This record gives sequence, structure tokens and C-alpha cells, in this order.
Amino acid sequence: MKEKLSESIFDKISIDYIRNQVLKNAYGNDDTVIARLDPRVLLIWYCFFGIVPWFLDNVVLLICLFLFVAAAAYKAKIAPLVMFVFCLGVFSQTGYLLIVSLFFGGNAETIVPVLIMTLKVAIVSMASITVFSGLDPDRLANGLLWFGCPERLSFSISFAYRILPILMEEFQNILLSYRMRGKAPKKKGISGKIKYLIYQVKVIIQAFYPLLLNTAKRSRTTVEALELKGYRYAASNKEVKRMKLSSLKIVKHDFAFIAISVVWVFGSIGMSVTI
Amino acid sequence: MIQIENLTFTYPGAEEPTLKNLSVEIEQGDFLAIVGNNGCGKSTFCKTLNGLIPHFTAGDMEGKVVIGGLDTRECEIGDLAQKIGYVYQDFENQIVRPTVLDDASFACLNFDVKDYEEKGRRALEMCGIAHKTDEYIWQLSGGQKHLLALAGAAALSPEILVLDEPIAQLDPAHARDIYEVLKTMNETYGKTIIVIEHHTEYIARYCKHVMLMRGGGIAWKLPAREALCRVEELQKSNIFPPQVTLAANRVAGGAETVLPVTVEEGKEFFGRYPQTDVAKARILDAPPEENTILEFENVSVEYRSVKGDPVRVLNDFNLEIHKGEKIAVIGSNGAGKSTIMKLMCGLLKPSEGKILLQGQNIKEMEMNELSQILSLVYQNPEEMFIKDSIRRDIEYAMKVRDVENYQKRTEGLLERFQLTDLQDRDGRLLSGGQMRRASLAIGIALNPSILLLDEPTANLDIATRKEILRTLSDMKNITDTVMIATHDMQLVCEWAERILVLSGGKLLKDGTREEVFNDREVMKEAGIQPPEIYQMGKEIRPEISCYTVDEFLRLFQREAV
Repeated sequence: MKEKLSESIFDKISIDYIRNQVLKNAYGNDDTVIARLDPRVLLIWYCFFGIVPWFLDNVVLLICLFLFVAAAAYKAKIAPLVMFVFCLGVFSQTGYLLIVSLFFGGNAETIVPVLIMTLKVAIVSMASITVFSGLDPDRLANGLLWFGCPERLSFSISFAYRILPILMEEFQNILLSYRMRGKAPKKKGISGKIKYLIYQVKVIIQAFYPLLLNTAKRSRTTVEALELKGYRYAASNKEVKRMKLSSLKIVKHDFAFIAISVVWVFGSIGMSVTI
Repeated sequence: MIQIENLTFTYPGAEEPTLKNLSVEIEQGDFLAIVGNNGCGKSTFCKTLNGLIPHFTAGDMEGKVVIGGLDTRECEIGDLAQKIGYVYQDFENQIVRPTVLDDASFACLNFDVKDYEEKGRRALEMCGIAHKTDEYIWQLSGGQKHLLALAGAAALSPEILVLDEPIAQLDPAHARDIYEVLKTMNETYGKTIIVIEHHTEYIARYCKHVMLMRGGGIAWKLPAREALCRVEELQKSNIFPPQVTLAANRVAGGAETVLPVTVEEGKEFFGRYPQTDVAKARILDAPPEENTILEFENVSVEYRSVKGDPVRVLNDFNLEIHKGEKIAVIGSNGAGKSTIMKLMCGLLKPSEGKILLQGQNIKEMEMNELSQILSLVYQNPEEMFIKDSIRRDIEYAMKVRDVENYQKRTEGLLERFQLTDLQDRDGRLLSGGQMRRASLAIGIALNPSILLLDEPTANLDIATRKEILRTLSDMKNITDTVMIATHDMQLVCEWAERILVLSGGKLLKDGTREEVFNDREVMKEAGIQPPEIYQMGKEIRPEISCYTVDEFLRLFQREAV
């Protein structure tokens, strides 16, 4: 039983699993309610939920907002791994304080401030995940472009999005080379397991070196292709930017999302006042 | 259409010019193949056409290149890009956008073409991948990616398209698709097509002219038929004429100048020569003793998919591999060839069933033990270079295992693969053939008794390919069991004793080349084709199967004597 459990955990953290989760996160949720929103609407939405919570300290209001962003994140179908990293992050920031203070008999006076802090962090990071991982990077890049971000930044985002699968696959293959030819320490006993883990981490770090070189090699073609495809011309041509952004349209769906958000926020404020 | 006068080009820092005093004219509507051995300047030549040389790549250029009335030196790359499209050999890296339509219309968008999406769609249509318009790039197969790269280049409707080794990594079915698309573009849309190509069967079937380059110059440019008949000259440049032509040349003893280049033409030609009565059957080596060293038992494999249910790439797969076998695994791209190899080295775990290596379940073996017995050489050698010089790459596995005299063994391997002079170079900076040799040396460093090779001859010119074949036979005393996954049917016929045909994750057929290639149904279902010489033999002597040019020649008296 114990062996099974450790095996399944090992299976979970395999590089293949991580690769799958990253790809899922980038490409697997393009048909969700959140992904279909106009990126500009979502960015404005993020400006609200990413900033305003810092200035609030009403527990009820914060809980309401948290429920709302949690629902949005749920609708965006965030990959489990990202969710896990999120939980870990919030916990390591402030969540553990909450538990510690509960544990040592903290009363409402000590818990409330910690709870408020935890909620703030949770709302802001949950909103970030929803926007940056729920929206496909290409649309995000277009949204940023509209708000005046430099063309290069937005191109880099969508290009990263293009080569991500290639890089992941190559990285995996290089790691496999290490596994096949290297000699991992035996996994017996606690010290063996630790040594094994250290070895794995070392290999992962070492594998970046060939990955970088291989990427440098392939980028030569990419740079030439970009030149042939007129990328440099486009950067100095305002008309191209206009054409690119003309695909962004705010439709009924977006208005509905805005309306729900506004109603929810005011409802929450109302509730926090009455309670 | 294209006029080149006295073109000489020297890369910065190079002592010798790469292109030497080239003059040539290419007419509109031509379908031209450029041939020549590795490093003769073919790719450099093509880059002078689209203005990358001299505008993008620095260097010393003399002479004149005129494309459709424009002097490349005087206009910008952007203006030339609308006249001439370019598809790289590593086409994957030329696709820069995440989705198909986006990439196809990217150039049009950049050049401020108002109906850019429409242009992109039309290009996709022309390349036959319109049904993939809304997909992500990573969802495409290798062949489809190549078609997309072509569509991206064709979207600006250039009059000229240049393709650098378009079919090097493709299975024969996809290769034909590419050439059919090119043919339509050439005939229906009147485009001028220029390909760099090693596969002369395709040149014979599709191209109108052939240009031979040698040492940075142009040896000649001739109509394709005539060019392919210059057997000796081509061979000197490491180009192998079509098998039919080669056989005809030998049968005629070099006495005829007009030789057949396709099976159709061969039928008439060989009819004129007297044939032997008895067909000598191939003498088979004694079949290896049935000593099973590796066994698949009802193995199924599933990959996690990005969306929806897991994908099954292997289904209830059973296989026994005996000691001393030479096995070729064939089947179209994505049939499961690489999956099988990865399973065997424990890099993938079966979701059901088990794999036994020398009677022991692979799952219970340590990776270290496994790699002593079994070794895999990747399709892409770059992924095997994990150190900064090939010497350190070769010795790595032995060093970490404290193999005695590992330095001495490394020297031996370097010598054996003719890498001693290159030992301090980074593997990535070597030429295609050198990289392949280095990856083989790395693969056999631990003296594995089973060696797995994934596409060992892809992307190689014939000379290098021969060298790899020789190395394979050299290695007999080191590794006795070899398994190769490949699209190269000539390699299969010359080398393999047992052939596994895969299709859609299932073992379609398992047998000798006689059993496999004579089974029409299997061939059709797996999308494979026997080498040309086999078809030629069937045309003149249906009852006999020949697989290599040498076997074919036994049908004729001259050679039989």
C-alpha cells in the first residue's frame, strides 16, 4: 500500500506529467467561458481584482470577492498542477500563520488580521491565474498590444506560446539521455532517497545547458524566417497594428461578464455593510 | 525569371569562396532540382535568391542576381519576399505563430495586405491542409507542418518557391503528398519551383530540369531525363540515380546513353536484353537460433492528452525478439515506432501488460542495469549531446560507471567512427553525417547487446548513408541484436532480416522482406512502398522478387556470367 502510494506520487511528479500540465494550461482550455472573453475586458477586470483587494479589510467583503474569483478560476478550467502551486504559494505566504495562530489558541483578534491578509493574497493570485492561464497567451498578447505594450513584448508572448511544446519535448528527451547514460544513486533507505532526489535536481539543472544550445541553433532559421515574413516591416507600420487588433471585438458575452462582476461586487459591498 | 551572372560569395572569415563564379538562368514555370554532395553550396545558392545574402548574412558577394527584373542587391528583402518563397530544411523552426491560419497569413499581415486572412486561407487550400485551419501547430503531423511552412511561403503568392530538402524526414506517403502539391502549384498556378533534393526517384517523376553543383560551381543544368542518365557523374557527386537507371546502366555496360528513369520506361528497355532462365534465389543466412531476449506481453500504452481522453498509441501489442536478429520497424509517421523503442529502454511505462528483458520484467530493473544491455540512438542526434565536446559525451556513460580503461575505450571509439580529429568540438556544430556517427559512438559506448536506432539515415546524403550502413555491419562483433525504425525502404531491403510493419499502434505484419513486400494489402494499409527496383523486377518477371539492384541484375545474362 505504502509502496503503491509512493509510486503514484513519483508518477505524478514525472517530467511527462509536468509537461502535460503545462501544455494543458496553455492550450487545453481555449473553449471555456473565460477564454472566450475579450482580452481587454479581462485585463480591466484583472486591474480591479488585482489591486482593489489590497485596500480592503472587511472580512465579509473579501470572502465574497474570493468566492467570485474562485468561481471564475473554476470556469477557466485551470490545470490541477497550477492550482496546486497556487495553494502552496498562498499557504507559504500567510496561510501557515493562520494555522499556527489557530493551533496556539489564537482568538478572533489574532486570527482576523491574518485571515484578511491570506484572503487578499488569495484573491489577487487567483485573479492572476484566471487571467494569465485561463486566457490563451496569443489573445493576451493582443490585449496587451491594445493597451500600448510594445509590439516586441506581445510577439514574444505568443512566440513563447508557439515554441513551448517543442522546448518541453526537447527538454524531456535530453533528460532521458541523462537517465539512460547517467548513473543514478540507488533509492534504498532515507539517505538513498535524498541522494536520488538531489541527483535528479542536478540533472534537471544540467539539462538546461544542451537545451539552450539546441535552441540557439534552431533560432537561426527562425530569425531568417521572421525577416522573410516581413516582421521587421510590420513593427514600424501602424496600419499593421490596427489590422491585427481589428479582430478584437466586445460582444454580448463580454457585457454579461462585466454585468455579473459589477452586480457581484456591489452585492458584496451591500452585504458587508449590513452584516 | 532568374538570371545570375558571375556570382561569387565568400562567408566572412572563410578562406575559400562558397560560391564560385556562378552563371545560370532559370526560366519561368520551371521545376528545377538542385543536386550536389553535402557542402557544395546548394543552400548558400538558394539564399542568394531571396536576398538573405547579401542583406541579412554578411559576406563578400560579387556578381549579379536578378529576380523577375529586380536586382537583389538593390532591393529590400521585403520586396523579394513577395517574389520568392523559401521553405527551410528545418521547416519546423520557420513556423512562428501558434495556430495554423495565423501562421499562414502572418507574412501577408506584416506586409500590410488588407485581406490577409483570405490570402492565408487560400494558401492553405492550395497546400491541401484547409481542414486544419483552426488547429494549433503542435497538433499537426510532420508532413502537415511541412505543408504549412509551404503555405506560409506561398501566401504572398510569390512566383518562385524554393524548398530545401522537402521530404528528408517524411514517410513515402507524405513525401508523395508534398510533391503532388508542388506539381499542382507548378502546373495549375504556373509557379516556378526549385528544390534541393537527394531522392532521384522523385526528381525523375516530378522535375523538369536538374542542376548539378560541384565545389561551389555549377557543373551543368540539363533536362531531368538527360541529367539522370549521367550515372557516373552523379555518383561522383554522391548522388544516386534512380535504381532503375542504375540497373539499366549496368545491364547495358555503359554502352547506352539514353537510359530509363522510371519503372514505366524500364519495362521497354529491359525487354531488349536477354534474361537468364533461372532466377537465383537469395541465399539466406542460417536463421538465428530461437533465443528470446526480449518479449512484449499484451502491452498497451496511453499518452496523457492535452484535451479529452488519453490517447492509445499501442494496443495489446505482442512481440518476441530473438538474439542476433536484424529487425526493421516500418510504418507511417505516428504508427508507434518510436513508442516501441522507448518502451524497450524503460523510458516509457506500459499502461497494461509487461515487457521482459532476458526473462526479467523491465519495470523491476534499475535504469542503470537496463542501459548496460540496451541502448537507444535518437532520431535527432542533438538531443544526445549533453556535454560540451563529443569526447566527453562518449566517455560520460563509462565514466560515471567507473568502467575500467574508459579513456582507452573512448579513444578506440573515436577512432572507429573517424571522430578523433573532431573530439573537442561540440556535437551540435558538426555536419549531419558527423553528428550521426557521434551519436552512434555514444550509443554503443557501454557495449549494449541490443541496439535501437531511430531513423539512422534520415537527412543524410548517399555517401554518409553508406558509411552508416558500413558502420552497422562493422558493429556486428559488439552488438548482436539491432533494431531500426525507418522510412528508408532501400535500407530495409539491403539490411534487415526481419521486418515489422506497424500501423495505428498495431503489428500489421511480421516477417521477412518476401512476406512483407509481397503482401499487397499490408503495404496499402501501412502506406508503404517497396523500393523502385522491386516494382521494376515485378514488371518484367512477375514471379520473381528482387530487392536490391544487385539481385535485379542477376536476371540478366551479362551480369550473370
